[in-house]
Amino acid sequence: MNGHTQSDLTVVRWQRGVPVFGLPIRTKNFLVLAGIAIAGFVLVTYREVFGLGSATGLSDAFPWGIWKTFNVMTLTALGSGSFPIGIAAWIFRKRRLHAVMRVTLLISFLVYFTGLLAIAVDVSRPWNVYNLLSVYRWNTISPMWEVLWCMPLYCLFPLFLENTPPVFEQLWYFFPPGRGLVVWLVPIIRKTYPYVVALAYTLPILHQSALGALMLLTGNQVFPLWQTPLLPLLYVWAAAFIGVATTICSVLLCCMTWKRPIDHSIMDELVRLMNWLIFPWIALRLLDIVVRGNFLLMFNSGLLSLIFWLEMVFIFVPAYYLRKAKYRNSAYLLFRNCFLIVAGGMLYRFSPTTFAYRPWRFGVIAYYTPTVIEIVTSLSFICTCICLFLIAVKRLPILPAPLQQWFESESYYRNFYPYIQMSGYGNPDQHRPSYAD
Amino acid sequence: MSVTRRDLLKIGTLGGAAVAVGGAIGSPAQEHVPTPPRDAVGMLYDSTKCIGCKSCVVACADANALQPDTRVDSLHQAPNDLNSFTKDIIKLYKPKYGDGGSFAFVKRQCMHCVDPFCVAACPFHALEKNKTTGVVSWTPDKCIGCRYCQLACPYQIPKFDWDSFNAKIVKCEFCKERLAAGKEPACTYVCPPKAVIFGRRDVLLREAHRRIQDHPGKYFENRVYGEKEAGGTQVLYLSAVNFDYLGLPHLSPTEHPSNWLRWQERVLKFFALPVGIYVGMVTFLKQNFREHENEMDDEHKKTGLMPQL
Repeated sequence: MNGHTQSDLTVVRWQRGVPVFGLPIRTKNFLVLAGIAIAGFVLVTYREVFGLGSATGLSDAFPWGIWKTFNVMTLTALGSGSFPIGIAAWIFRKRRLHAVMRVTLLISFLVYFTGLLAIAVDVSRPWNVYNLLSVYRWNTISPMWEVLWCMPLYCLFPLFLENTPPVFEQLWYFFPPGRGLVVWLVPIIRKTYPYVVALAYTLPILHQSALGALMLLTGNQVFPLWQTPLLPLLYVWAAAFIGVATTICSVLLCCMTWKRPIDHSIMDELVRLMNWLIFPWIALRLLDIVVRGNFLLMFNSGLLSLIFWLEMVFIFVPAYYLRKAKYRNSAYLLFRNCFLIVAGGMLYRFSPTTFAYRPWRFGVIAYYTPTVIEIVTSLSFICTCICLFLIAVKRLPILPAPLQQWFESESYYRNFYPYIQMSGYGNPDQHRPSYAD
Repeated sequence: MSVTRRDLLKIGTLGGAAVAVGGAIGSPAQEHVPTPPRDAVGMLYDSTKCIGCKSCVVACADANALQPDTRVDSLHQAPNDLNSFTKDIIKLYKPKYGDGGSFAFVKRQCMHCVDPFCVAACPFHALEKNKTTGVVSWTPDKCIGCRYCQLACPYQIPKFDWDSFNAKIVKCEFCKERLAAGKEPACTYVCPPKAVIFGRRDVLLREAHRRIQDHPGKYFENRVYGEKEAGGTQVLYLSAVNFDYLGLPHLSPTEHPSNWLRWQERVLKFFALPVGIYVGMVTFLKQNFREHENEMDDEHKKTGLMPQL
């Protein structure tokens, strides 16, 4: 091959979501992940029976542990890829980006779903959650109220609906008795789609900024390098580019694992979108720090300075290199750089909640160390996410691929289900469009 | 190019939304100066008068039916800080040997802020500030146990019952049952040297300033802690030593929650901006979605494959 990559020889165009066919779901890795996931859910029972005090390392000095600060406030940023990509695709007409919409929507749904699980485990008087419905008890100025309303609403309504088309599609092909349901539902989904999708972009902007506002209300207890009145804006902005970087990473990882061709034109589009978000964000953050008169704190606050520069370098340097085509055209370099951006972004979202929160402790030094139960449970939510993702991409047409793979998958499935017809639906003037046969 | 009625409607909606958003965000900001309720009650604690007898700690536990906290040595009721069994505690500041400073006691309890962080933080008004007395109290029925009040409180007052299944937020509630019965709180009632006294907040403030005037130079920086800190508190402190040593944090007068959340309040006023964004997006989306659908159907015609949304 003379060192050529596949993309040099043929221009790959992703055109359709195609399942990762012909591979078993229950691989060894999958079973390990599922084992961790189940272990976590067993430990959740322990927490429910014996209380937060014995299950976690939390104390009155550190009331929030990794379930909230990591699983909810940090990881949901990884699942926020769907709103910047969606806005670029639907509003700014970057049509090619529709190819990765299904992956990023799936990631969003799973991450938010496990985030909700983490909140449910962490909340210690869950029997009072019905207060969400008692209007006269709402404290609408509280960022917590915003998060508690907005996140479940987003996950269970717009995100859920946006993730139904691949399911209906498979139902149509593989389960003929279900076609009536699909024929009935798909036109409804199509008719309401613009309204639902617009909601799916408004809600994450609201609650991702509310996550920043959560720390805003802790006032000067958060170190001034992080605490700023702009924190909500910086939080939602960071979520946007972390989400895009996560999408790039996961698509690349899938393509490299299952030897699928990579469409570099779409990757370039995504990187351009990400860089458009990253550079102004860094400029705004530095400007904000300087304007508030905290310039020197960037250098003379010891470990916190180090964390600050780690965030900045991890986000800026990869984004800077990704401007060059050489770094974007190699799958490995692209993955490595986007991975660093995700890491830096996660550190930025995590720091104000833990490292930079009450660092001086008013003379009393208190530490928070997560217990094994907390760590395993937190990991278990992540593993649940990955397991469900693996099942979904192997069963549903989610990962983007060239048209050729669609026909290959059809002939593969015909070996087992001879009645399958996934192509040749002819002229929609004779067959009415959109599954309505 | 002719303008159809649909276009006109669209322009009208978008313009209206833009005007509403601009109006809501651009309207002059309300001056947020937290003011205490008219009949705000208060406490004045004078650290120079306190003898550290801890009568108030015992009286508090008695009046609030708190369990004795014997967790330190399994024998004596000797809590080492505010916790789920302790709403009021006396602490001692001990100067380092040889630096000539004086000892000082401090009584820690809820400050009953004029603009409390915990009340702004609580999603369902489980922590509420009484409109007449200004007492901040906790209602179990509304609390979901998110512990955001603990995170937000700059004085680190709300404590959580970590070991209980039916966990509670524990903090001083100004003996609200005793207040309702026309009595003063248990701690001020029992205090032998009257180091902590009960009264209306404005009266106590005057009393504090009178003491400072009568003994110039006796009190640290000649100021009352709680008069202006984070918009003011209803529990006021006088001390001979630095308030830092007593664990009372530096808070500037503007660092109250409504100031921290002023932008959020403005942006979310009448929910105008989110609704504006939503309406704008729907307008663009409907058009682009129609195009996308047409393209999908063309694709369908060409390839004979079912369209993918």
